[in-house]
Amino acid sequence: MEELLQQVTNGLAIGGVYALVALGYTMVYGVLRLINFAHGELFTLGAYLGFTFLTSAALGPRLGTGWGLLLLALLVAGLVAVSGALLERAAYRPLREAPRLSAVVSALGASIFLQNALMLGWGARFQVYPDEALPTSAVTLGGTRVPVVRLAVILVSLALMAALWLFVNRTKLGTAIRAVALDRDAARLCGIDVDQVVRAVFLVGPALGGVAGLMVGLTYGQIGFTMGWSYGMKAFTAAILGGIGNVPGAMLGGFLLGLAESLGSAYVSSAWKDAIAFVVLIVVLLVRPTGILGERVAEKA
Amino acid sequence: MNRFVALLAAACFSPSVFAAEPIRIGLMAPLTGSWASEGQEMKRAVELLAAGVNARGGLLGRPVELVVEDDGGDPRTAALAAQKLASRRVAGVVGTYGSSATEAAQGIFDEAGIVQIANASTAVRLTGKGLSLFFRTCPRDDQQGRYAVGVLAATGAKRVAIVHDNTSYAKGLAEQARAGLAAAGLTLAAFETVTPGERDTTTVLTKLKAAKPDLVFFSGYYPEAGLLLRQKREMGWNVPFLGGDANNNPDLVKVAGKAAAEGFLCLSPLLPQDLEGPEARAFLAEYRSKYGAVPGSIWGVLAGDAFRVLVKAVEAAKSTEGARIASALKGSVKDFPGLSGKISFDGRGDRVGDVYRVYRVDAAGAFVLRK
Repeated sequence: MEELLQQVTNGLAIGGVYALVALGYTMVYGVLRLINFAHGELFTLGAYLGFTFLTSAALGPRLGTGWGLLLLALLVAGLVAVSGALLERAAYRPLREAPRLSAVVSALGASIFLQNALMLGWGARFQVYPDEALPTSAVTLGGTRVPVVRLAVILVSLALMAALWLFVNRTKLGTAIRAVALDRDAARLCGIDVDQVVRAVFLVGPALGGVAGLMVGLTYGQIGFTMGWSYGMKAFTAAILGGIGNVPGAMLGGFLLGLAESLGSAYVSSAWKDAIAFVVLIVVLLVRPTGILGERVAEKA
Repeated sequence: MNRFVALLAAACFSPSVFAAEPIRIGLMAPLTGSWASEGQEMKRAVELLAAGVNARGGLLGRPVELVVEDDGGDPRTAALAAQKLASRRVAGVVGTYGSSATEAAQGIFDEAGIVQIANASTAVRLTGKGLSLFFRTCPRDDQQGRYAVGVLAATGAKRVAIVHDNTSYAKGLAEQARAGLAAAGLTLAAFETVTPGERDTTTVLTKLKAAKPDLVFFSGYYPEAGLLLRQKREMGWNVPFLGGDANNNPDLVKVAGKAAAEGFLCLSPLLPQDLEGPEARAFLAEYRSKYGAVPGSIWGVLAGDAFRVLVKAVEAAKSTEGARIASALKGSVKDFPGLSGKISFDGRGDRVGDVYRVYRVDAAGAFVLRK
């Protein structure tokens, strides 16, 4: 029982990161019907920016604790959001009216470009967050020791997702985003500035991804320029699992995938961890081809 | 893009060396990816030695040109790197580090008639395929597995858990160790896998903890070992860890943090700071004066040994032809004074001799040899 509780916590902490990254994929897909393959690299950028701020002599000591961490998260989210918007302007907007395949190829190119830029900027070796910046305290929950940082990851991801849900469902811009996702041309006819909506999506999605990268750095310490690939792959899977294009679906998919991984590796076999996660995906897609919360309507012509 | 071509013809050579066409020697190393710190050391060591050979008048009167290719620690990249090196008509190849990368490359070199001397690929089956042009300056995992079981038994542990990462090397070593447990009176508490590249090892650690082992043997590589040690400490679990010989890199301590790394035991050939003999001392002094520190890991030094023994074999064979270099390595090159001790190869291309020791990480984060 104690082990089960521990494994559920482990799974939720991993799932929280997947869910945050998955939101970026799903928002872009919802609005543009485009898989932003470079999203994983924006996540990595978040991890590296956090590393740079924490190791810088001037800022490091101030950002490492308490409110400093909040400031650090805002700083990282802001910079990654700007990078996301620049990426959209440079790699996707010129291809907005082009066949969808061109945009996919451009996304792949952007991913490779960003990954190599990260390698040139920060080096090919992995980097490690400074020890004193990593929170080490733990709390005891139901007899098991849970590091605070893991609980924080779960809580912060839930809070960010709730904020995103409110933004999409309760604000004017959020309504515009949903309108463009539903039908871009009709939305434009209603006077919605589609470019502004797309820019908003490319600010919010990458900001969440960047914060996820920062949280991975703070949790595990070690970051590398290729880390976006494995996390991006899993988050993409989570987005599909929950129903791509659907915001609550991405959250659900992320947590489910994290749980499937941790429970599968605990009670079946750790060597088959990834296989179990993907079997879950295949089974879900066989039963519900649009994902768990995906809309059942056929894609509009 | 990831191609580093270093032409090591410094300005001080005699005109005769300049006139001749260079002898190309390949170096395949993980310059990017998780094992980049190993690859960078391999490159440094071999570049230093190649510059030394050129400064002494070259090889067979011709300058040595180093052709460096990045294998990224990944089998697919390694196969491409091997093809590039083969098309550059190198006389021989030094490297590489990971056994899975070597496995993907060795067939390509064999078909191209190029001698390959790996420096850190210890998986048993690499020399079991009958490839006559393949050699290695590192030991083999069955040797390491037997040694590991001896060390495990000597710690007084009864229940041992084994963790690997599904790579050719780590899985092979884990299975070698598992096979020897019963004979040493040890029981297997758990046999688990971590996924390289993923940072979370808590699910595996939680499962291991429930199996209550006295000691955990990790047969994978240093980036994952560092993460395991750090997360084990966060869980408040203080079981001792013994690592295989891919954990003897200072970056392990960087990832784990000194507090979590202290007490970590590690199998390894003698580390650079403990090497003896005039060749090693001269090399380490030169390395320090050029790069500011002695190499942190032994595998870079073993890449240096691979380069030196390859140069020796080309001299002995008076040829750059693969088959002749190979027969020199198996024949006339006996007890070659390497940086890491005497080097001889057996008929399969394996290095002869026993090299393993146990190191322990101390409170300052240094690997200290256990006598």
